[in-house]
Amino acid sequence: MIVTRKALARRTFLRGIGTTIALPFLDSMVPAMALAGTAKKAPVRMAFVYLPNGMDMTGWHANYEGKLHDLPRTLKPLDPFKEDITVLGNLTHNAGRALLDGAGDHGRCCGSYLTGIQPRKSLVDIKAGISFDQIVANQIGNQTRFASLEVGLEDARQAGDCDSGYSCAYTNNLAWRSETQPLPPVLDPRALFERLFGNGVVLSPEARARQGRYRRSILDFVTSDTRKLETSLGPTDRRKLDEYLSSIREVERQLEKAEKDNSQIDPHMEKPYGVPADFAEHFKLMTDMMTIAFQADLTRIMTFLVTREGTSRSYREIGIPDGHHPLTHHRNLPDLIEKVAQINNYHMKQFAGWVEKLKSIKEGDGTLLDNSMIVYGAGLADGNKHLHEDLPTLIAGRGGNYIKSGRRVVYRKETPMCNLFLTMMDRMGVHTEHFGDSTGRLEGLDLT
Amino acid sequence: MQFPGQGKPPTGIVFDTEMGRSIDEALALAMLYGFDGKNEARVVAVSISNPDLKAAAFCDAVGRFYAGATSPEVRQFFHGLPIGLSTDPKVPSANTPMIEAALSKASYEQAIQTLNDTADPTPLIRNALTAQYDQNAILICGGPATNIAKVLDLPGAKEVIEKKVRFLCFVTTKWNVKTDLPAARKVFAEWPTPIVAVGQEIGEALPFPGASIEKDFDWSPSHPIVAAYRAYKSMPYDAPSWDLAAALYAVHANDGYFKVSDPGAMTILDDGATKFTARTDGKHQYLILDPSQKERIIETYTKMVSAKPVPRQPRFPIKKAADAEKAAEAKPPDASPPAPPK
Repeated sequence: MIVTRKALARRTFLRGIGTTIALPFLDSMVPAMALAGTAKKAPVRMAFVYLPNGMDMTGWHANYEGKLHDLPRTLKPLDPFKEDITVLGNLTHNAGRALLDGAGDHGRCCGSYLTGIQPRKSLVDIKAGISFDQIVANQIGNQTRFASLEVGLEDARQAGDCDSGYSCAYTNNLAWRSETQPLPPVLDPRALFERLFGNGVVLSPEARARQGRYRRSILDFVTSDTRKLETSLGPTDRRKLDEYLSSIREVERQLEKAEKDNSQIDPHMEKPYGVPADFAEHFKLMTDMMTIAFQADLTRIMTFLVTREGTSRSYREIGIPDGHHPLTHHRNLPDLIEKVAQINNYHMKQFAGWVEKLKSIKEGDGTLLDNSMIVYGAGLADGNKHLHEDLPTLIAGRGGNYIKSGRRVVYRKETPMCNLFLTMMDRMGVHTEHFGDSTGRLEGLDLT
Repeated sequence: MQFPGQGKPPTGIVFDTEMGRSIDEALALAMLYGFDGKNEARVVAVSISNPDLKAAAFCDAVGRFYAGATSPEVRQFFHGLPIGLSTDPKVPSANTPMIEAALSKASYEQAIQTLNDTADPTPLIRNALTAQYDQNAILICGGPATNIAKVLDLPGAKEVIEKKVRFLCFVTTKWNVKTDLPAARKVFAEWPTPIVAVGQEIGEALPFPGASIEKDFDWSPSHPIVAAYRAYKSMPYDAPSWDLAAALYAVHANDGYFKVSDPGAMTILDDGATKFTARTDGKHQYLILDPSQKERIIETYTKMVSAKPVPRQPRFPIKKAADAEKAAEAKPPDASPPAPPK
């Protein structure tokens, strides 16, 4: 048999002036022989979505183990996707506990969340540890355009005292490149957009406004490449490409709207130029771009600090003018607990929107969600008591047909969260025997 | 949570034992909570080496019994010490009637229903030690060394032990040693700080008086230890006190209750017996009974086992602090300058 079909390179780009658009995984990228049964697997991606101030745990805990059926209040928005999620119980971060360092649970829980190390209590001489996402990034990051992406929604300083002597570097970052170097999240959607599709130059707000008068879609700059590519694609791939480019255009529209709205609200506002005033819009815009980044294999590792740990952000959009952090110290007052539950639920609704998006994108025999492990969780359990055990944790996705999802799996008390990280590292192709305070791999997660 | 500003707290005790095979284990747990109530020690972790869920539930119930007297402010934050439970089949089950009896009569909350309500003892012990001041923890191994040996295998655990643990008090009855011979050998070979062995003869020479059960616990109609003691054997009987001796020595090592041997090296024989060889650079010692202290020891046993739970005070007296704040606000500021120093 003579095979004449030549596969499209995985690293094919649509290029234009100042624009580089990576492509999603297309059937045409699979060598013809591979289609006969040895199809190359789509890569596994992982992301962490971090929520601050713990949770109302009564709304998080299901009162059963095993197959998910009736979801508790906070998880309710994930009801349509309950076959795609795995809720984990009893995972503990000992490094987040005081361990003789006194007050500062918010600083510790975020600083230790992905590093597995108790951060040094300091405002200046900061020290935590390399976070496990960066260990993975160091090993496999060379296979993608970005080794990792760090994203957030809340503008936050990187210095000063954010919790009882703990530097803001601990509460305002999730990823740590080294034990002294956190990786601040990108907050501005325009900056993220330009990072993903531009040539690396982030324009000043003034320059961007000037350019905006003449702005066309970045898709206009790659029209020639797009047309050429389309001629070599089959109908399925043409549809996939069309959907993908449409999603980029949709992000552009959201960005333009945000920028327009911001300039009308207050031209002097300090908020980054492209940040939507509405939390849900901001969340959607960022996760839409994160989806594209996964889809186009621009990166396989992302961390998403939804808002900074210990934040006192209010949620007027859902009728809650009180600060999030003060509310979590509710003194067992039912109306305050109810507000915390509403905030938790509101966050989860946004996350469910992202899960839906990831599930809607076909990839190989499954979906982008199937090939991902999106951990949604917090560094504190009950935010009132500042507990570091039984941390609210769930994984959306199957990590490439590995995780037997649709279940609630409860581990024994004091099971280190780092055991989950060690297991995820395996799935990402990075094998090590120990991370943080791990005692082994997390058993019972896989399909066996 | 410990705060540096509060000063060094009493010694943190990690109690790893069997629970249910003999009554002295339950008595020792009660005695440790008695010391805890008097601020002479703090129980920071409890784990058991026999894989019996009900034995873990018993330990949890005892802990809750002693915490039951705490104030509402403290109870709001109290969520109980997790109980470590081994699943290693090397140690046979010890689900004796004493456990059943205590649990069936308990009027206190039972939080352990499934294995996942218990902790994996290995990280539990390691984590408890990380929270102690340097050289301010003592580990009591009152049963087979199954759990302790596994802690030694955790990466970085030996460094934590060396830093935090003053000594290990190991009850080296033949049963304990022989039940998990490799674990006992590993502990004596690799434990990084001194080990004090409590031999079979110590517990037998210092019986806990059964009469105490009849007269010292009138204050509580549902004391779990009383229920367990009565169910363990036909009353009246006196009980050997291996774990009690270990617990008393751990908390009051320098108070003359016991003598200890010169340093040396303990060897574990195949039949579970121990052989001690004196060596000036040795890290092992064994407990020696001083007959003149026998009465005092037994008196301390009965006094501390039957000690009433002591209400815990909140670290920050919530109401009082708020009242003081209000009073400060109401008081007009003092305009007079402070008196010059003499």
